Amino acid sequence: MASHGRPNYVAIWGWLVALMIAGLAASFLPGARGLAVVLIFATAVAKALLVALNYMHLKFEPRLIYAIAIVPVLFLLVLTVALFPDFVFSR
Amino acid sequence: MAISAEAEAIPGILPGKVGVWWFLASEIMLFGGLIASFIVFRLGSGGWHGEAAHLSVPIAAVNTLVLLTSSLTMVQAFATAERGDQRGLRTYLALTILLGLAFLGIKAYEYTSEILAGFTPGTGIFWSFYYTMTGLHALHVLAGAVVNSILLGAGRLRNPHRLELAGLYWHFVDVVWIFLFPLLYLA
Repeated sequence: MASHGRPNYVAIWGWLVALMIAGLAASFLPGARGLAVVLIFATAVAKALLVALNYMHLKFEPRLIYAIAIVPVLFLLVLTVALFPDFVFSR
Repeated sequence: MAISAEAEAIPGILPGKVGVWWFLASEIMLFGGLIASFIVFRLGSGGWHGEAAHLSVPIAAVNTLVLLTSSLTMVQAFATAERGDQRGLRTYLALTILLGLAFLGIKAYEYTSEILAGFTPGTGIFWSFYYTMTGLHALHVLAGAVVNSILLGAGRLRNPHRLELAGLYWHFVDVVWIFLFPLLYLA
């Protein structure tokens, strides 16, 4: 584990804070809500990826760990989208 | 044959790490079930902007900053532990615990002001979701603080990977908040 170089943890934190501020700023965007929502969640996904890849060291892990992490996320997407016909489209 | 904690059951991966990631996979589904229900109910109900407007974005933003910073101190605790700096790791670990407790204190203040304003879990479906998701998350922060306190109280840490495993959980709890904050407060 110690053989590879560690990421610059403080720089990652700087990016996390910058993305948080960007997400907050996006929530105050005037006009159509759609663009704001896309920007808000894009910054959230970027923050989550930064934490998972660098702080949780996912980018140094073998495929098995990726598989364990990604499979439930895929299940979650299927679960969410599969409920759309009953709850969202039937409005 | 006895297998030490350092043994590699799968080449390149510490056994404990597979265990923690497996646990986190179940946690993704736990929070994911709530988040998925929240999303479909919200999209299906025409939005809860009125309800969400009663939440305090500044307080939640401060709490987001607190939790993001606690992830930095947690990962620094592991980095210093790897270098064999026992004093440094204890300082960073103590800071992580303090930031976790600060998050809970701020959340408690937020809950109090919301309940005093008349918004309880029974007020409506938005508030049910809000208290369930943030409450479950707060319990996870508390659990993480307890785990970190046990590591801090255990004295000299001989195996830095214990800190890495505790860190995986701590960062996961941070990631959950990264999604709860925009879902409940911003969107």
